[in-house]
Amino acid sequence: MKAISKTPIVWLFLIAAIIVIPLVSGSYVIGVMCFVAVLGALGVGMGVLMEQAGIFSLAHPTWFGLGAYVSGILAVQGATPPWLGSILGAVFVAILSVIIGAPLLRLRGYYLACATFGLLLVVEISLAQLGSLTGGHEGLMGIPPLSMFGFTFETDLHYYYLSWGLCLACLWFLHNLMGSRVGRAVKAFSDSEVAASSMGINVPAFKLKIFVLTAVMASLAGSLYTFYLRFTQPGIFGFPLLVELMTMLIIGGGRTLYGPLLGSFVVLWLREFIHTYLGKLLPRMTAEVDAIFFGILIIVILIFMPGGLAGWVDKLLGLNRRALGRASD
Amino acid sequence: MEGLQTDNLLLDVRGLSKHFGGIKAVEDVTFGIIKGSIISMIGPNGAGKSTFINVVSGLYTPDTGKVQFEGEDVAGLPAHAMASKRLSRTFQLEELFSSLTVLENVMVGCHTCSSSGVLSCGFSVPFARKEEKRLQAEAMECLREVGLEERAYDTISQLPLGERKLVGIARALAMKPKLLMLDEPAGGLAAHEVERLVQLIYALREQGLTIFIVEHNMPFVMSLSERIVVLDEGKKIAEGIPDQVRSNERVIKAYLGEEVA
Repeated sequence: MKAISKTPIVWLFLIAAIIVIPLVSGSYVIGVMCFVAVLGALGVGMGVLMEQAGIFSLAHPTWFGLGAYVSGILAVQGATPPWLGSILGAVFVAILSVIIGAPLLRLRGYYLACATFGLLLVVEISLAQLGSLTGGHEGLMGIPPLSMFGFTFETDLHYYYLSWGLCLACLWFLHNLMGSRVGRAVKAFSDSEVAASSMGINVPAFKLKIFVLTAVMASLAGSLYTFYLRFTQPGIFGFPLLVELMTMLIIGGGRTLYGPLLGSFVVLWLREFIHTYLGKLLPRMTAEVDAIFFGILIIVILIFMPGGLAGWVDKLLGLNRRALGRASD
Repeated sequence: MEGLQTDNLLLDVRGLSKHFGGIKAVEDVTFGIIKGSIISMIGPNGAGKSTFINVVSGLYTPDTGKVQFEGEDVAGLPAHAMASKRLSRTFQLEELFSSLTVLENVMVGCHTCSSSGVLSCGFSVPFARKEEKRLQAEAMECLREVGLEERAYDTISQLPLGERKLVGIARALAMKPKLLMLDEPAGGLAAHEVERLVQLIYALREQGLTIFIVEHNMPFVMSLSERIVVLDEGKKIAEGIPDQVRSNERVIKAYLGEEVA
């Protein structure tokens, strides 16, 4: 992952684009780009967990949702300032993901997917049923905006910078991590657990570490999401979000670190275009057209670009493994 | 065991058994490995050689028996704990990490000799960066030792079988082992590759490394080993210097069938 010679240019370009976009566009673009960043931060962690560590966990929307709810509830009840609530949410998710991950990560492949999917449904139903605390099906209302050191994040533009800050921080952290001793250990056990453990890698411990780390990232993204929307609902964190994330991973390419972020950008903007243009042509069928379009797109990508858009771009740029390895000096 | 001085033993195995259901893969095996020696284990297919190496390296838990490494009881420890005691191994089917380059594969071998964790790596603190440089240099040194530095940035799929076996050895050497266990290192190799391997093993022995080889290739084993243990149907049927083993009737019977020549 450490394409050092090209990496600073890519980062500079990305940061410049993020700064320039709000200067040349309106609130509509800024709003969509906020969601691109939040879902991108979520997807990047999920990509590392599923594609690089080979841990097929479907519970990612759950950690996102729990982060949103814990920080939201704490803020509504006035127990802690929102920024502290976000951190407490991440701590809560970290503890819960250790408790749940320690036994569940002994499962592999489909079994792990089934168990974590169960967790996703249980948490969604629990959030809906704990009405007095969570607001039930109606959702949690009256969430105050995020404020920190006397500064209140109110406008879309504030959240735009905040969510892109979080997204890039997650990307940077995982970029460093996957090019390091820990990242090598993670890729090693996803290739061969037997060989990895014979090299002295404590495989269950490393699985748990990467699981908890990506859960914490998801939780922080969830807190940001809830303060941006100032509203949250159990239905947001269920199966539809899981499908959305999987779509982003497949289209963007989960084996490449930035793939899910690219996926988030492409999926959200394509959907905007479908809704804008097809909404006029077929006003009653937008949802169906949306589902059919993404269904076909996933099939086409899987057949012609199994590495997703990011894998395809890397191939075009000749950024094969040989070059990546050589650049890591 | 008789006649060997116990305090010289790096690895001491006593009465080791491992059963899979009704199959007695390893049955009451006792022997020791003297520090600084090359000892081999041979036996026909299905004799339990691979099971034995898997038990000693911690991938399987033994049913009964003792394993002592440097006088410390290690039977039943998990593989990663065995590795951190500097007991390293290669695999019959290489088991290299296909998503990593050759150099990175060897760097994984440096895992036990390094310590930076999730946060120091993720935030790329100076300590982690410094350690990364050190690991690269160490891994490169191991590749140089097996003669593969040219291949450092290739992927595993670009390498022929002989070189893959050498990557496996380099990866095991990166663990700075006290005992190196090679599981069928000559399996599937061409004659000139075997010759290269023999030279490498002698060079490692010169450095004071203790080497345990599980192998099929008889000339290879006979030329290299100081002692040979023969396994058949999970049991040890002979042990001794190559000449003793070569002329042992039970060994000939196990290899050639009932009729003793």
